[in-house]
Amino acid sequence: MSADDESFHPLGQEWEDDLEAMLDDTEYDTDLGMQMAEDAMRVTKGELSEAEFHEQYHEDMMEEFGQDDRPTEQALEEMEANASNALEAFEGDEDMDRREMMKKMGAGAAFLGLGAAATFGDDEPSVDAAAQEDDDDNDGTQWGMVIDLEQCDGCLSCVQACAEENQLDAGVNWMYVLDYEDPEEDLNSGRQRLVRPCQHCSDAPCEKVCPTTARHTRESDGLVLTDYEVCIGCRYCQVACPYGVNYFQWDEPDVAAEAIDNDHVYDERGRPVDSRAPRGVMSKCTMCPSHQDGKQGEEMIGTTACETACPPDAIQFGDMNDSESAPQQYLDNVALTRAKSELAGNNFAPEEGLDYDELEEDDLDDAEEDLLEAVRILDGEDEPAEDDDDDGMTETEAERIVQGEEGSHASTFKLLEDVGTNPNVVYVGNEPGPNAEQTEGPVDYEQMDYERADNGEDQVLADVRKDVTDEGTVDLDYISERMPI
Amino acid sequence: MSTKTPNEDDILRPIRNTSKNYYILFGAALLAFAAFLVGWAYQLQQGLVVTNLSDWGSGGGVTWGLYIGAFIWWVGIAHGGIILSAAVRLLGMDRYMPVARLAEMLTLAGLSAAGFYIIVHMGRPDRMVTSIIGHYHITVHNSPLVWDVTVITAYFVLTATYLALTIRYDVTRLRDQLPDHFDPIYNVLTLGYSESEDKIIERMVWWLALAIIIMAPLLLHGGVIPWLFAVLPGMPAWFSAVQGPQFLTIALTSAISGVILISAAFRYAYDWDHIITDDVFRGLLLWLGFFSLLFLWLQLQQNVVGMFAAPLDTAVAQEATLFHPIYLLSMGMVFGTLVYIFAQTIRPSLFTRTRAMAAGVTVLLATLMEKILFVVEGFLHPTFEIYAATPGVYFPSLIEWLSLVGTVGMVVLFFLVLAKVIPVVELHAIEHLREDHGHEPVDESASKQEVEA
Repeated sequence: MSADDESFHPLGQEWEDDLEAMLDDTEYDTDLGMQMAEDAMRVTKGELSEAEFHEQYHEDMMEEFGQDDRPTEQALEEMEANASNALEAFEGDEDMDRREMMKKMGAGAAFLGLGAAATFGDDEPSVDAAAQEDDDDNDGTQWGMVIDLEQCDGCLSCVQACAEENQLDAGVNWMYVLDYEDPEEDLNSGRQRLVRPCQHCSDAPCEKVCPTTARHTRESDGLVLTDYEVCIGCRYCQVACPYGVNYFQWDEPDVAAEAIDNDHVYDERGRPVDSRAPRGVMSKCTMCPSHQDGKQGEEMIGTTACETACPPDAIQFGDMNDSESAPQQYLDNVALTRAKSELAGNNFAPEEGLDYDELEEDDLDDAEEDLLEAVRILDGEDEPAEDDDDDGMTETEAERIVQGEEGSHASTFKLLEDVGTNPNVVYVGNEPGPNAEQTEGPVDYEQMDYERADNGEDQVLADVRKDVTDEGTVDLDYISERMPI
Repeated sequence: MSTKTPNEDDILRPIRNTSKNYYILFGAALLAFAAFLVGWAYQLQQGLVVTNLSDWGSGGGVTWGLYIGAFIWWVGIAHGGIILSAAVRLLGMDRYMPVARLAEMLTLAGLSAAGFYIIVHMGRPDRMVTSIIGHYHITVHNSPLVWDVTVITAYFVLTATYLALTIRYDVTRLRDQLPDHFDPIYNVLTLGYSESEDKIIERMVWWLALAIIIMAPLLLHGGVIPWLFAVLPGMPAWFSAVQGPQFLTIALTSAISGVILISAAFRYAYDWDHIITDDVFRGLLLWLGFFSLLFLWLQLQQNVVGMFAAPLDTAVAQEATLFHPIYLLSMGMVFGTLVYIFAQTIRPSLFTRTRAMAAGVTVLLATLMEKILFVVEGFLHPTFEIYAATPGVYFPSLIEWLSLVGTVGMVVLFFLVLAKVIPVVELHAIEHLREDHGHEPVDESASKQEVEA
């Protein structure tokens, strides 16, 4: 490329001519293409903003192609921040409500939508995209979870509640919460915390390899369970699970069978799949079948011990096939749900909505009052102001407040999705990178305990199971402790 | 090299004579086996907590360890044994005829040890029959462990049939010289025998041998056993198409080593230097060298692919394996054996039977270490290695170590008992050797030429 080359393209005039010739061969407007290409280069140089670029060509694009797929994330953020008429810029139909508009934009554009979450990935429709298409055609119930990692404060309440619910031995952490760091500094953002129950995969490798059918998926609701009376303890499920969620019962469980209610062991089919495992068989998170089967009361259906115990409502358990369920409602608008949860205090149920009458506005400080007003507008409780000059909050302002408080962009992921397990736990937040390594969390496992059902004593939790099983390992110390010599 | 003519008395000697050494070895083997049975009883009482195994992941342990590593090792020895025997029959490798039955017996003994390990490894061995057989029609479609149990059972049946068929010829002809107190056994073994069946039996055995040779790479140590590991995408230390061939080379090296050791023991005990000649050992050593070379070659493949520009999880797992002291020791031992075998091929004076036995012991130890490490490494470096407790720690507990001693004792007992009942060298082999003596006596120079060829 020579210095006096007049081409806008970094590869020079010849390249530009080639491109122009290629465009000439198409049925579309060559001049528009070349003009856009030149301005696109200006965007990369920073001479033109994403939003300006978008607006400049939106009409031409619609005219030429009938669609404009360009709005990029940056353009969107820029518009959110600057333009009061940002939403109009997308479609221009002011009468259309947001949700309807996003439907029209389709799943791809919804990915960029305000506050909406999306699952990164391949050809499969993301969970929330499916919800937005009101796709309720999926067969039956599939229990699962949405876990908002940005909401989790690492208090281990879920771990403790699970251990108590199931009377687990120390170190048998069906629910496990870990903090992590990535050696690459740039990758360290957000809470850097992972909440790891069993993923209750639709294509569970543990079930596939089981030589006995002890590990199975319950047909009625997709829970992946272990039949404690069929399992032979070969541990192949633990070997095949890529997540490490299985815990073998290496010795006699601490809490005796007599202390555990049969209703908390046998599920609705009469199969023993719940509570801590007997000696010699495998166990893992069950997602509380005794709750789902109504054995603990109607009100417990659709809940799990960990979900109920979580102070910041980071865990949303429910039917992943139902767009109205708590997890799907949560994914529908993460920022808004987070805001509602914050206003409601503990145990907010996204599928039931916020009870505005119960909210004591007197107790709220100024910031919370603003948040409440914004939430009311976005929730359709209150009418927004038409424009900035009117009294009250516009919808854009409301969006800005909610997102300022709860985060504007929520990415979602499923753990190790490329292993092909089709997990039924969707995470909101950042996915740990492959080099991420667990670090110390805010609360030690050893600080937590629960009350045993058999003797009422405190059972102290443990982080590392091997520290506990080591006590039974027959080595020289073991023998010398027990021999009279 | 002896020029004695082999005769029936030679192969009947183990049945007729019982030396003091026999009793000592029997006692030692029984003690080893019994000691492990006590350990196992304690394990049954206390649970698998008596091992040093634990949960991988947040648990900080490994789920499978020595039991599974030793299981693979025994299966390998077993599979290689019958492959050797089948090859002798199929390819007419008459030189190895005198050790063919020992190889078959090694297969049965090895499979028994492996089967025992499966039971020992289970949390609830009492449910083996009800849980596995009861759901077999469902699980056989998916579970490599079920394929595994199926194939091992099939192999045991095939080998036992093979042995039972070939033994009829011998027992019938030697019946008068066999001890009367085993008559019921011999009656069953030779039920309905007539001389006209010899040719038919020979053909049946040939087809069995063919089935075994075909099944070996497709299903056994070249297939089902490695698939237990190779098909799991979350464990990069295992997830590899090379595991099939790799396992097969390990099976063959281990089995040849086992046959060398057992043949040497029988030759020493019963003065069989004119039956199991040095020539047999030289030949076996050469095969051991060949399969050791294949073994190292496939290890090289794994290391190059895993270290050059592999996906992150594979690279981490391969690097951890490559620089593990046990891995380096194991590879070094196989390589050292290989160097010796090639050296003694070029310079036959380097060969001694003691060295051949040392080569066998070295390779067996190396493959055992490699196999246990292989199992453990999978858990140490999974794709999802975020847990602080991963890689975990594992060193076998006393009971686990005792299982190795116990199963070796069990296999030795198997040989000691079986050698008292049936001839461990085929009558065919004696007849064949006698023919050789008639025409062309095997001597040192002839065997040298053969080796060099």
